[in-house]
Amino acid sequence: MLNGIGDFLSSGSSWMFFIFALLAIGGAIFMISFTKVIHMVISLALTFISLGGLYVILEAEFVAFVQVLIYAGAISILMIFGIMMTKHRQGEEEEPRRPWHEGLAIVGSLALFGVIFYAIQKTKFVATGAFDAGKDNTMEIGKLLYNEHVIPFEIMSVLLTVAFIGAIIIAKREED
Amino acid sequence: MGSIVTPYLTLAAILFCVGLYGALTKKNGVIVLLSIELMLNAVNLNLVAFSKLGDHPALTGQIFSLFNITIAAAEAAVGIAILITIYRNKGTSDVNEMDSMKR
Amino acid sequence: MVSDYSQYAWLIPLFPLLAFLALTAMGRQLKELGIYISIVAMLASFIVALLIFVERLGGHVEDYTWDKLSWLQVGDYTLRMGFEVNNLNALMLVIVTLVSLLVNIYSKGYMKGDERIHVFFSYIALFSFSMLGLVISENMLELYIFWELVGVCSFLLVGFWYFKPEAKAAAKKAFIVTRIGDVGLFIGILLLFWYMPGHALDFTSIHNAISSSKIDGTIVTWIAILIFIGAIGKSGQFPLHTWLPDAMEGPTPISALIHAATMVAAGVYLVARTFDIFHASPDALLVVAYVGGFTAIFAATIGIAQNDIKRILAYSTVSQLGYMMMALGIGVSYASGMFHLFTHAFFKALLFLGAGSVIHAVHTQDINEMGGLSRKMKITTWTFAIGTLALSGIFPFAGFWSKDLILSEAYDHNQLLFWVGVIAAFFTAFYMSRLFFLVFMGKPQHHGAHEPHESPASMTTPLIILAVLAVVAGFVNTPFNEWLSHWLTGQDHEESANWTVIILSTLAGLLGIGLGYLMYLKRSIPRDVVSSRAPWLYKLLNRKYYVDEIYDGGVVKPLRGLGYVLELFDVYIVDGIVRLVAFVIVGLGRLGARLQNGQLQTYGVVTLLGMLILALAIAGRRFIHAG
Repeated sequence: MLNGIGDFLSSGSSWMFFIFALLAIGGAIFMISFTKVIHMVISLALTFISLGGLYVILEAEFVAFVQVLIYAGAISILMIFGIMMTKHRQGEEEEPRRPWHEGLAIVGSLALFGVIFYAIQKTKFVATGAFDAGKDNTMEIGKLLYNEHVIPFEIMSVLLTVAFIGAIIIAKREED
Repeated sequence: MGSIVTPYLTLAAILFCVGLYGALTKKNGVIVLLSIELMLNAVNLNLVAFSKLGDHPALTGQIFSLFNITIAAAEAAVGIAILITIYRNKGTSDVNEMDSMKR
Repeated sequence: MVSDYSQYAWLIPLFPLLAFLALTAMGRQLKELGIYISIVAMLASFIVALLIFVERLGGHVEDYTWDKLSWLQVGDYTLRMGFEVNNLNALMLVIVTLVSLLVNIYSKGYMKGDERIHVFFSYIALFSFSMLGLVISENMLELYIFWELVGVCSFLLVGFWYFKPEAKAAAKKAFIVTRIGDVGLFIGILLLFWYMPGHALDFTSIHNAISSSKIDGTIVTWIAILIFIGAIGKSGQFPLHTWLPDAMEGPTPISALIHAATMVAAGVYLVARTFDIFHASPDALLVVAYVGGFTAIFAATIGIAQNDIKRILAYSTVSQLGYMMMALGIGVSYASGMFHLFTHAFFKALLFLGAGSVIHAVHTQDINEMGGLSRKMKITTWTFAIGTLALSGIFPFAGFWSKDLILSEAYDHNQLLFWVGVIAAFFTAFYMSRLFFLVFMGKPQHHGAHEPHESPASMTTPLIILAVLAVVAGFVNTPFNEWLSHWLTGQDHEESANWTVIILSTLAGLLGIGLGYLMYLKRSIPRDVVSSRAPWLYKLLNRKYYVDEIYDGGVVKPLRGLGYVLELFDVYIVDGIVRLVAFVIVGLGRLGARLQNGQLQTYGVVTLLGMLILALAIAGRRFIHAG
């Protein structure tokens, strides 16, 4: 793996990857370490955006676009709305210390990471072919989506309809 | 890192574990939902990385990740709606107060 | 000739047992009738015993043994139960049933008004059953069973008035001290069991084995000494004598029955029954003789400094039992000891019942608070006088003949013990006359509210009967006609009267009475002639040579300390371990309960950890197998 760092530092895309990765991880770490909820949401939005950048490096422009639009846009705002509608007072944002619980959770997460990292290192990835992205990523995705994966697409639309109707009904204030 | 997939997978693993920690530890329900979104993002990164750099490069991975984003958005919406309703009924959005599974 | 009546000997303990069961079950409802049931049962036993005895008087009746009840079978050894009747038994049967009958009649008057009187009579019936069973026991183990039963009855009866703390303590003391002796007896029985051919424990086999020298000499000595230890406990010899004076806390009728005439005589009877073993071991006989002799003089000296009427009589009993043991130890035969037991049963029971009559009248037991009772209680005074004279060994009362036999045997075989006996006889006469003069003569000292009056007929009749016996019972064995010795042991004794012994013993008795007369009636010698000049001597005797205090400091207190330490051990260590186990379990439970708090995040962490452990376990197996 240390050999790889030499190669790693030699190409420009590696630098970009490195920066975006750092931003993503930083956003995630800050998210769990900030105390005020709004700060947490903002740092996570940073993570989302840097992930979008990573998608661009991976030649998935459409996905990157959708990522920024939906995640950094809609979902972050949704979360902020949720916070605004459920917040009480300032003092409620203090977390009670649960050392055992947090300790075990850290241990579990680190152990999980260790297991996955080990699995990743041990696996031999052999590329069987080059990636043909095509000239227009969006067009290609559209072609695939409506020709081969049309049924899941339709089901998605049904799901979205059900979801937003359901959300409205759940969140509706009950008329007395 | 244009040719190997391992860094992306490692990054995804890191993000996933951070999100897991947040989901298991945070007191505010909104933050728990947020952490779940982070975990889903990690999965998306995996999918897109494999679509370009994996064993069989194809666009299928990107399609899959689009679907994943859709699901995640729907789930976030419904989750927030539920949280708002619970907040309206219980007066708090502290997940530690939601312990009716005790009995 | 074969006996006709001996086969019915099993009825003798049966009647009081039935009375006991009847009184225990229905005593409260029966009331007066219950008392009569007990008396009638005892009378029936007495009649059967008398029949057996009279039949045997002819002198040529065979011993009768019945051992058909096989009680316990262990491997190829069978424990049998049964009964045996021979001349020695028959004599004891008559003594026990007669004294028990008289005490039953006496108790009807003495215990009148006590609300637990039916319990009292049931206990007496149980005791009579146990003692009679002991007398006709056929083997050592059966004897031991009844021995223990007798001890239990003594405990029950001494502690009859259980609401008095002194009675409770005295009952416990009686039981525990005799128990110490019983351990010795039990070990002796075990040794016998071990060494007897065929593990037989019945007296016939013991007789046969010892006379044919089947058992090694040292073992025989040990067995004899261990059996004697049991007798020391039950018959109140030094050093296990301390329970007998304290047992006077019980009602006076049972002091008469148990602690004068019968139970304490069980030790003497035991040695007589196993006399073959003792006879085969001269060392054991020496031990018996010296312990007996020492006890005789030791208890007599304590008796002269006591002030409680019953305690004086109790120490007198201890002393007389010492005489009996001394007689047995001298080793000629058990006839002299048994003869003295025979006469002693009557006059000591008489003295105790008389004391009970006095106590009933003046409601105190301190002789310094009595006096001049002869004016109001004629029958009691006369019978008590006869008992005193018999005990002091004055011609021609019963005690004279039996004491004379013992002393002449001692004179012939062991001069030291002879002089011990004579000096003890002097002390005996002295303290008895002191007792008599202070209680019945002189000026009345009691400050009671009511005048003492004679006791009812139910109490005086037994007194009269016993007084008659105290006069005539001695004539069955005089130096001129040793009928009893011959009848008991089948041996012929040389029939000669040793005039030295007769004169010396009579002199000792008369001196004692004379000194008591001078000191306590005529007051020509002041009462405190010794106690003022040598107060330490008086204190030593009055405090019983501090034996109780020595036991308390040397045995009781260390045991209590040990008990305290063990209690601490029990509470902190044993109990601590139990509580620790409980604490751990409960702790684990509480820990588990904390996991079930209904919070999703807790469940999530547990799930994560579980999944990781599972994954690691499954993945790890690959390494273990591959590596």
